Parts: sequence; C-alpha cells; structure tokens
Amino acid sequence: MRKLLFALIMLMIISNAAYAETIKAKVNGLVCAFCATGIEKTFKAQPAVSDVKVDLEKKLVTIDTKSLQGLDDATITKLLTDAGYTVTDITREK
Amino acid sequence: MKKAIMAAALFAFAQTAEAKPISYVGGVMAMQENDETGHTLSLDYTFDPHYAVGLYAKEEENGKHYTTIGPQLNTLIQRWNLPDGQANIFNSTGAGVSRFHGENNAAAWTSMLADYETRRIFTSYEARFTYADHIENAFWQRARVGFAPYAANYDDVATWFMVQVDDHPTKNDTWVVTPLVRFFYKTTLVEAGYSSNHHLMANWVLQF
Repeated sequence: MRKLLFALIMLMIISNAAYAETIKAKVNGLVCAFCATGIEKTFKAQPAVSDVKVDLEKKLVTIDTKSLQGLDDATITKLLTDAGYTVTDITREK
Repeated sequence: MKKAIMAAALFAFAQTAEAKPISYVGGVMAMQENDETGHTLSLDYTFDPHYAVGLYAKEEENGKHYTTIGPQLNTLIQRWNLPDGQANIFNSTGAGVSRFHGENNAAAWTSMLADYETRRIFTSYEARFTYADHIENAFWQRARVGFAPYAANYDDVATWFMVQVDDHPTKNDTWVVTPLVRFFYKTTLVEAGYSSNHHLMANWVLQF
C-alpha cells in the first residue's frame, strides 16, 4: 500500500514537472523597477505560477508555471496590462 | 506676464511629481512628502488599471498654516508604453475639509500630472488648483528633471539625482528650487533634498 502511494505521488510530481513551462513576455514601458514590482506581486498571486523574474535591460518578464493549464496568453496579457504595461510578444519553453 | 512666460517655460522644460498616483490593480500605495510646502500623506488603492481611490491629507506651511483632508480619485488619462520609456498623464481630484484657526471649511482640489521617464532620464510636471473656502484659492505648479548615473535593473538599488522647481504664489517663498537624491529598491522609495529657502525635504513611498 505504501509502495503504491509512493508511486502515485512520484507519478504526480513527475507529470507536473513535465507540464511545467517557462513563459517569456516582452513588454513595452518597462523602465522603472519601483513601478514594475506590481508585475511580481500580480504573478506571484497566481496559483499556477512558481516563479517570476523581471529584467529591465531585456524588457522581459519570465514566468515559470507549475502546469500547462496555468496561464494562457490572454491571461498573461491581461495581468501585464492591469499592471500598467503593453505586451509585445509571448514565447513558451517547456 | 513674466510669470506666465516662466510657467510656460517650466511646462516645456519638464513634465512631474513624486510618484505615480496609480500602481497595479489590487495595489496599495502609501506616500508621505515633507518639504517646504508642508507635510502630505496619501493612501491610494488601485482598483482598475486607470483608477485609484484614496485619502489625501496635507498640513500647509510656509504661508497660511492650515490642514486639509479628504478622499480623492486618481485617474490615468493616458499612458504611452514605449520600447525604452513610459509617459503618463494623470488627474487627481478630491474634496474634503480644511481646518484653519479652529474652523472647518469646505475644500476641493484637482491636479494634472504628466511624466516621461526612461531608465536614465526622468521629467515631470504637475499643476494643482486648491480651493479652501474662506482660507485661500491657490494655484501651484511643480516641475522635476532627473538623471540616473547608472541604469539599475530590477533587483538593484536605483539612484537618481533630481532638481525640483516649485512655483506656489500663495506661499511666502514663491519660487523654490530643491536639488534632491532619490533611491528605490523593490517596493520602497525614499527621497531627500534641501531647498533654496533652506528647508529639508524627506519623502517616502511604500507599495503593498
């Protein structure tokens, strides 16, 4: 029974990791770190997000998700728009 | 006429204010300014990408000494998100009570703020009209220009050197120039300066 439970948990972890992805959003208007803290706060409040990084130099927001179902492009665009920015491109890496 | 020309020059020279009155949806911003015009405290909650509601309070000094408090609405009228910069036009309008010599009087205020910034250059201009019944009706304008000695990234402490010019005809010192330094890191911003009429400036902004 323990072995079965262990196998199930491992299966869940592996499948979840397999579906995790990194999303890169190019953003216009990203010049001030003080103003951009809203991006970090907004995305970290999303259950599907495991990590978020903001790079002012590259004008890039990198979002690591926990699963594929997490964030579609429309949601990412809305969250970044609500934070005050304009999305110009979204790419995904598994 | 001279004042009008100077005001026009000021507007053309730079657009301002301490911090944008709208943050991100769900964000709360607390701001305090202590300068030669008095002490200002505001608390704003952004409920829409274009709107924030808040509470504004100011103790006026360097002229008539009175206190104003009331709710205000901040509106993002226009934003330009550019590849290497951002420009904004905001309005803040509120109404409340001004207390002067122990008496409460109706008060209202509105201000227009325009700013443009890159990672190395900052300019802003703010014009404010204040009505305080039986106390004073004031027009006030402020311009600010600044530069960053290095382009700070998101996880760095940002440093800015700025010059602020105030024109407030109802104060004892009408034109005031304040060189200042600004630092911010993540959700905390602080500013310190010393004005041409010998007052210390100490401002801070916190985001939650």
